[in-house]
Amino acid sequence: MKLLEVTELTKSFGGVHAVSNISFSVSAGEIVAVIGPNGAGKTTLFNLMTGVYPPTHGHIYFKGTDITSLPTHKVAALGIARTFQNLQIFNNMTVLENVMVGRHIRSRTGLLGAVFPLWPVQSEESKIVESSLEKLALTGLADKAMEPAGSLPYGQQKMLEIARAIALEPELLLLDEPAAGLNSSETRELVDIIYTLRDQGITIILVEHDMETVMEITDRLVVLNFGNKLAEGTPYEIQNNQEVITAYLGEEGF
Amino acid sequence: MKDLLRQKRLRHALILLFTLIIFAVPFLVTNNYYLSVLVIIGIHTIVVVGLCLLMGYAGQISLGHAAFYGLGAYTSGILTSTYNVSPWLAMLAGAVGTGIIAYLIGIPIFRLKEHYLALATLGLGLIIHVVLMEEVELTGGPSGLSKGIPYLSIGSLVFNNDFKYYFLVWILALLAVILANNVVHSRIGRALRSIHGSEFAAQSLGVDTGRHKLQVFALSAIYASVAGSLYAHYITFISPSPFGLMTSVQFVVMAVVGGLASIWGPILGVSVITVMAEGLKEFMPLLIPQAGGEYEIVVYGIILVVIMIFMPDGLTATLVKAYESWRYRKERPNETS
Repeated sequence: MKLLEVTELTKSFGGVHAVSNISFSVSAGEIVAVIGPNGAGKTTLFNLMTGVYPPTHGHIYFKGTDITSLPTHKVAALGIARTFQNLQIFNNMTVLENVMVGRHIRSRTGLLGAVFPLWPVQSEESKIVESSLEKLALTGLADKAMEPAGSLPYGQQKMLEIARAIALEPELLLLDEPAAGLNSSETRELVDIIYTLRDQGITIILVEHDMETVMEITDRLVVLNFGNKLAEGTPYEIQNNQEVITAYLGEEGF
Repeated sequence: MKDLLRQKRLRHALILLFTLIIFAVPFLVTNNYYLSVLVIIGIHTIVVVGLCLLMGYAGQISLGHAAFYGLGAYTSGILTSTYNVSPWLAMLAGAVGTGIIAYLIGIPIFRLKEHYLALATLGLGLIIHVVLMEEVELTGGPSGLSKGIPYLSIGSLVFNNDFKYYFLVWILALLAVILANNVVHSRIGRALRSIHGSEFAAQSLGVDTGRHKLQVFALSAIYASVAGSLYAHYITFISPSPFGLMTSVQFVVMAVVGGLASIWGPILGVSVITVMAEGLKEFMPLLIPQAGGEYEIVVYGIILVVIMIFMPDGLTATLVKAYESWRYRKERPNETS
């Protein structure tokens, strides 16, 4: 059984088909990239997969369960985490607290427990801190734990989003342009983190424009153009696909 | 971890210091009028602490909190005077009832955001105020509950003067601050703050934002209701006028002045605004002899604008920053910044 299966997915905004009749699937343990020119529908696809809005047509299955039109927080509870193209850091919290929010669905303290924190609540709290610090260590932010999240430089804020997303212990991680705005050493670090996560058994789908990185780390690519699926295949196949080359470089090519 | 522990210790030290101040004050202030102002400050603090949880941490506004304050006051008033229910039981009934009402009303209201939410809560406040005015048989209408409301008591200790009531109110206010502090530093508190930070990201991490908003709305309504009950048993007579729109606005101003995202802000904000309102009552007629009660809203408006422009994080944050930069300069006397 596939981990994720997307069938005939369509999303129209007014008369515009942002995503049109897209089908693909992802197996557990894979690293898959969704690429395409600007406006190809990549982020829309991520938003559909995480229940930000319902599709106009089509279905999304996660581990065989239909998650089409499920609200975002329920999708997350099933084990799908994501990062954002435009950073969505909680600027009103510290770095550590940002990651601790990621532990939300893996902990249970309710309102009553929050008001009266007896020892079970406190021991859960220290477990949350412990595992959050682990995620910070993994993303190289351990020494920044107590700093206000908004004070981190851009590259570290992107790492923080990853730390926060994996704190959820997802089976599927969606990374929306993780390398955008990173310098080469930060990109190197990102690649290492992605490999580590894959080795931990997390399946990864990423949207990315940095082709060098994409071709290096992915097992498979899905290419979108104007909301349609243009091609699907291994990095080698995609690099030699005439249609893809045309979409990216224009009719004339080189 | 070490930093976390240090922060926690600092929080506990602040609470301890504050407790000492609370217990020292009534022995220093012997004037009954001042003591009664302090009691009102304590009661309002309880409301504003709840409101800060809602506004400062969850980032949701309410312009109708005086209604919940009124529901608590009237539940206590009616149950104790007309039905002879024990005051503590009535207070509990008010809190539970108001919490449930807030939760149920919140279900449709919290589908709205920002200005629309503000308007909806404003409408809610007005509706409840109208009910208090018009349900004459139950509430006594505009002239208020005619039967006397009994004093609160524990065993043979009757809270029948300002000195005793001061302790009761401020112990409860302190409890309100401590419990709110617990919430802020919990899983629920983080979820609430994450909604404020980015609702989109909060949902993507599995936070059921709708449910959490409702919960904190209900919790803040419970805070207001308990404060209302305390008010009813303090004044021992209630009419609808203190539970109208003006009071709701006053609560919001107090919260904003003190600083929304600080659990100590409410005490400062409530104190500043209450003392100022009392001062205005004294001096306004001297300044403008024909001024009526309406000047208050003008003054609140001006304060709100000034605070939002010059210290958007409120007084508490401004003071903390001033202290930190003072300490910074003290530690590095030779550097100029």
